[in-house]
Amino acid sequence: MNLGGWILLILTWSVVLTLFFYSFYKILKK
Amino acid sequence: MTLQQEQWATRIGLVLAMAGNAVGLGNFLRFPVQAAQNGGGAFMIPYIIALLIMGFPLMWLEWAIGRHGGVQGQNSTVGMFDKISKLKIAKYLGILGVFIPFTIIVYYLYIESWCLGYSFFSLIGKYFGIFSREEMSQFLKSFQGIQTSSHFSGLWVAYLFFLLTFALNMWVLSKGISKGIEWLAKICMPLIAVFGLILMIRVLTLGTPNPSEPNQNIWNGFGFLWNPDFTKLGDAKIWLAAAGQVFFTLSLGMGAIPTFASYIKRKEDIALNAVATAAANETAEVVFGGSIAIPVAFAFFGLSETIAIAQGGAFDLGFQSLPIIFQKLPLGEIFGLIWFFLLFIAGLTSSVALLQPPIAFFENELNLPRKKAVTLVGATLFLCAQPVIFCLEHGFLDELDYWVGTLLLVVFALIEIILYLWLYKKENIWEELKIGADFKVPKIFYFIMKYVTPVYLFALLGYWFYKDGIGVLTMDGVNAEDVPFRWMARTLMLALFVGIAFVIWTNPRRKKGKLTE
Repeated sequence: MNLGGWILLILTWSVVLTLFFYSFYKILKK
Repeated sequence: MTLQQEQWATRIGLVLAMAGNAVGLGNFLRFPVQAAQNGGGAFMIPYIIALLIMGFPLMWLEWAIGRHGGVQGQNSTVGMFDKISKLKIAKYLGILGVFIPFTIIVYYLYIESWCLGYSFFSLIGKYFGIFSREEMSQFLKSFQGIQTSSHFSGLWVAYLFFLLTFALNMWVLSKGISKGIEWLAKICMPLIAVFGLILMIRVLTLGTPNPSEPNQNIWNGFGFLWNPDFTKLGDAKIWLAAAGQVFFTLSLGMGAIPTFASYIKRKEDIALNAVATAAANETAEVVFGGSIAIPVAFAFFGLSETIAIAQGGAFDLGFQSLPIIFQKLPLGEIFGLIWFFLLFIAGLTSSVALLQPPIAFFENELNLPRKKAVTLVGATLFLCAQPVIFCLEHGFLDELDYWVGTLLLVVFALIEIILYLWLYKKENIWEELKIGADFKVPKIFYFIMKYVTPVYLFALLGYWFYKDGIGVLTMDGVNAEDVPFRWMARTLMLALFVGIAFVIWTNPRRKKGKLTE
């Protein structure tokens, strides 16, 4: 995998996983 | 009419059920194929943009429509549209929110049952010993009764798995919203996460399966899916493919989200819940879906054959290529079982969601108790599914899929926007979104929802119709012997739509077109 692929993978995963953990954290905390 | 008879028992159960509705076969099969065909990593740029300007706005809109309708005792879009609009036609437009999910399930249930069948075949090693994609294709076709082979003597095995899948769906639905659908989601969604994780770890630790082919390793497999080809971003096709994928994966325009959201308590948040649902779906799609099928296919088959597999589409990847790979792995029976059972439970949580709108329609419209509504919908489904099973080779399924699984979803989403954001002003649906909200949705999304999303939807609709619609309409390229079956599929769709309209039109509980107590 080239650098562009790594950057896009890391960026996409970061956005998706941040949204996932943040929203479920807020829901479960309540 | 009784208001909000049923409700979700817990908030997490609701979010998991909504996520279960969205997470389906498409997350694990359609997404990687779409990404591989459309610029690899570069595909993620239009994908994320489509998620922001179409996915999230439509999710919020459908959740708000649903809760707004539920408060007024309406759980299907027929009643919801009827309540907010003075137009007599509104309730007939709402039929799409019942007709679309029901017609999708007529063929989706059969595909779901193949996953259950293949789970069993993996466990007993039934397809073990078949090492070419061509032979694996024959295995699938003989399972479906399209071809004869030494593996299956007719269609009865596939039919048995269909009956099992059908019975399981009906049983869950007969238990109701919280004791059936929510209970199922609480079991299946964590299982999907565990199975997805197991498969992902297995894929990531594969290294170079064939040392004599050092380039065929798992990281080059990831590269095949993620290395960006930015030149493709200039092609409108990629942007529309990304928008289409976002539309399918979030189960937008199917009527299931408004129905599920109608069982929410009035003061409960919908803004954050919608984000959590979308985020769970995207995790299943981008993280798991993007890390399993295509990278592993590359590591075992190499570049040229993986290109052919990606061009062959989702079924080629899932049902023909991966079963060959499982045979080459230690404990391949178990990994095969996990893969197909993952697909099956992802399909199951989606199918119960798609069956709920027609059930809710009969509960609301005819005041039927749940069990009777489930029986009525189940019996109709069983009858309608027969031609899909027995006329599969004649394109019966493909005809249904094009109209309801592609075109009408976008039409229905456009109707929702026009009715709720352009015509309905009495109680702005944007205000509905704010009630009980755990976070404030930025105002810019109101303008996106109202003006940008419909432009995107019109572009999608226009492109699909231009690309395939005219050909499908005139049955371009369809074999002469298949034409009557295609017409049969169209007649079935028309009969279903007219049948639902007839129930509304002749309902004695309606006075001057409006439902009474």
